Amino acid sequence: MALIELRDINKTYNNGQPLHVLKGINLDIERGEFVSIMGASGSGKSTLLNILGILDNYDTGTYHLAGKLIKDLSESQAAEYRNRMIGFIFQSFNLIGFKTAVENVELPLFYQGVPRRKRREMAMEYLEKLGLTQWATHFPNEMSGGQRQRVAIARALITKPEIILADEPTGALDSKTSVEVMELLKQLNKEEGITIIVVTHESGVANETNKIIHIKDGIIGQIEENAGHNAWDGTMMK
Amino acid sequence: MRDLINEIWNSVRNNKLRTALTGFAVSWGIFLLICLLGAGNGIINAFQGSSDRFVTNSMDIMGGRTSLPANGYKEGRRINLDRGDLEIIEGKEFQDQVDKVAPVTSGVSDKMALGVKTVSTSMQGVTPQYLEIEKIQMDKGRFINPLDVEQRRKVVVLSTKHEKELDRNLVGKWVSMQGISFRVIGIYHSDESDWRTSAYIPYSTMKGIFKPGEEIDDIFITFNGVSNLEESLELENTISSRLKAHHEAHPDDPNAIWIWNRYSQNAQISQGQRLISIGMWILGILTLISGIVGVSNIMLISVKERTHEFGIRKAIGAKPGKILSLIIAESVSITAFFGYVGMGIGMLACEIMDKTLGQRSMNLGFDTIKMMDNPTVGLDVALEATLLLIVAGTLAGLIPAWKAAKVKPIEALRAE
Repeated sequence: MALIELRDINKTYNNGQPLHVLKGINLDIERGEFVSIMGASGSGKSTLLNILGILDNYDTGTYHLAGKLIKDLSESQAAEYRNRMIGFIFQSFNLIGFKTAVENVELPLFYQGVPRRKRREMAMEYLEKLGLTQWATHFPNEMSGGQRQRVAIARALITKPEIILADEPTGALDSKTSVEVMELLKQLNKEEGITIIVVTHESGVANETNKIIHIKDGIIGQIEENAGHNAWDGTMMK
Repeated sequence: MRDLINEIWNSVRNNKLRTALTGFAVSWGIFLLICLLGAGNGIINAFQGSSDRFVTNSMDIMGGRTSLPANGYKEGRRINLDRGDLEIIEGKEFQDQVDKVAPVTSGVSDKMALGVKTVSTSMQGVTPQYLEIEKIQMDKGRFINPLDVEQRRKVVVLSTKHEKELDRNLVGKWVSMQGISFRVIGIYHSDESDWRTSAYIPYSTMKGIFKPGEEIDDIFITFNGVSNLEESLELENTISSRLKAHHEAHPDDPNAIWIWNRYSQNAQISQGQRLISIGMWILGILTLISGIVGVSNIMLISVKERTHEFGIRKAIGAKPGKILSLIIAESVSITAFFGYVGMGIGMLACEIMDKTLGQRSMNLGFDTIKMMDNPTVGLDVALEATLLLIVAGTLAGLIPAWKAAKVKPIEALRAE
C-alpha cells in the first residue's frame, strides 16, 4: 500500500450555491517521493491540500495515510494525527510571533507531551541542522524571510512526520531565498528520504520536484515524471 | 505547569493595556466587595456589641400611661409599678419561667461631691440581682450585696467614668449625694459608648431616703425555658396582661405597661445582621459581575485577534481541550492576580475605616452605640473570595475559550 492513497475523493462546499470542488480524486504517493501538486487558483489544489493535511473533511471516497483510514475523525483525533504524521510548511511561515525560534520549533512536541528538557534538546538539534543555532533565542520578526522559513521547516521536521506538506513554501520569499529553500527541501528528500508534497502554482517551483501532479477543475489531469527537472526550462523561476 | 505559566506570561506581556484594563475591572469589583463586607461587618459588630451588654433572655418592665378608658378610669392615667406587680411576677404563675427579679428605683440626677470636686450623676436603687441581669462588670471592689439591702447601708457603686472625674482611688472613700454621705464600695466598668453612668445604691436605701412609697420604676427579670421568638412574645404578653389587670387597665391597652423584651430585640438584630450580610454579598457580587463581564469581553477580543495563532496551534497538533484550558487558565490567572490586588487594597481600606469611623459613636437617645466596630473581613471571607475569584475567572474565560477551541485549523492557511 502506498503511503498516501486517495480513492475517488469528492468534496462539495455548500455556501449558498453548492460548489463541487473535488470531483473524484485518485492518487497514490509512495514513501520517499518528492512531488508537487500544481494548478491554478480555483483548481481545487488548496482543498486537496486541506484534505491531505487532515485540516478539512471530504464527502465521499477514502483517504489512507500510512495505512490508517482518515475519515470522520473527531477534532482531537485529527489533531493527534496531524501532530504525529504531518509536518506543515506554510507560505507565510506561520510562526508564533511572541515565541522565540526554539520555542516555535518545540511547540509540536509540547502538544505531544514531551518533557521540557528533551523538547528543548531536540529543537536545538533541528535548528543546528538548519544552521540556525545562533538564532534560537530570536523572535521571528528579528529574522529574514528565509530564516523564518527554515525555522518553520525545523518545526515541521521535529515530530519525524510521515509527510511534509508545503503550501506555496516560496510564495513569500525573494527568488534567491526561494532557490535556497527548494534546495533544502530537495536535500531533505534525498538525504533523509522524507516524503515531501509541495503545493504550488509556480512552474519553476514544481520543476524542482521529481513528480508533478497537475490538477484542474477538481480532477487530476496529467502526472508528469520529472526526475531530470526539465519539465520547465527553469528561466521562469522568479 | 511551567509551560502553562510561560504561555500565560507571554500572552499577558503581549497585551499590556488589555491586561491592565481587565485587571482594573476585577480589582475594582473585589475592592468594593471587600469594602462592603467590611462595612457590613462593622455595623453588625456594633449591634452585637450593644446587645452583648445585657442578658438576652431578660426583660425590662416599666409602667406607662393608659391610652384606653377602663373600669371607670379615663385614659391618660399614669401607671406606677408597685409591690403588687413584684408579687405577681415572683408568684406561682411565673415561677417556672421567671428566674431572677430585680426592682429598680431611679432617683433624680444631682451632684455628687468628693471634697471640692463634684460631678453630675443619676442614682438608681438596685438589688444584688441587678448585677447579673445587666451584665455589670466590676473593675474594683464589689457590687451591692443582700446585707447592704437588708441594713439599708449608705453605700454606692460608681462607674469608671466617675472614678476618672473624681479620684483615682475612690473605693473606701465617702462621697456625698443630696447631703448624705455614701461609702464607695466598688467601681464598675463603663466605656465611652456605655449609656450606664448611674451611681447604684441599695434598693432599700433609695426607698428609705429618697423615694418613699410604693412606686417601682423598673422591674428587670430574667427568664428561662424560652427557645424562640414566639415563646418570648407569649411570656411578654402574659406578664403584660396580668399587670394590666392588677392596675385595672384595659386588656388591649398597648401603652399601660411597657416591656422591653431583649429576647425579641436580639432576634430582630440577628435577623437584621443576616440581612445586612446577605445584602452586602449581593451588592459586592453584582459589582464583581461587571468585572467578570469586562474580563470576558476583553478575552473575547483577544481570542479574535489570536484566531490565526490558534489556527497554527491546531494545525500543528493542539487538541481543542489544550486551547480551552489555556484560555481559561489565562482568565483565571488574570482574575485571581488582580482580584488579590483588589482584596489587598480593600483590606487596607477596611483598616482605615476601622481607624476613623470605627472610633466614632452614635447617640440613639436611649443608647449610644459605636457606628462601626472592627469593620474588617476575616480569613474566611478571604478564602471565600478566592474561591469566588476562581469561579469568576473560569466563567469569564468560558465563552472566549470555547470560541478559541472552535477555531478551525484551516485558519492557519489564511495569509495574515
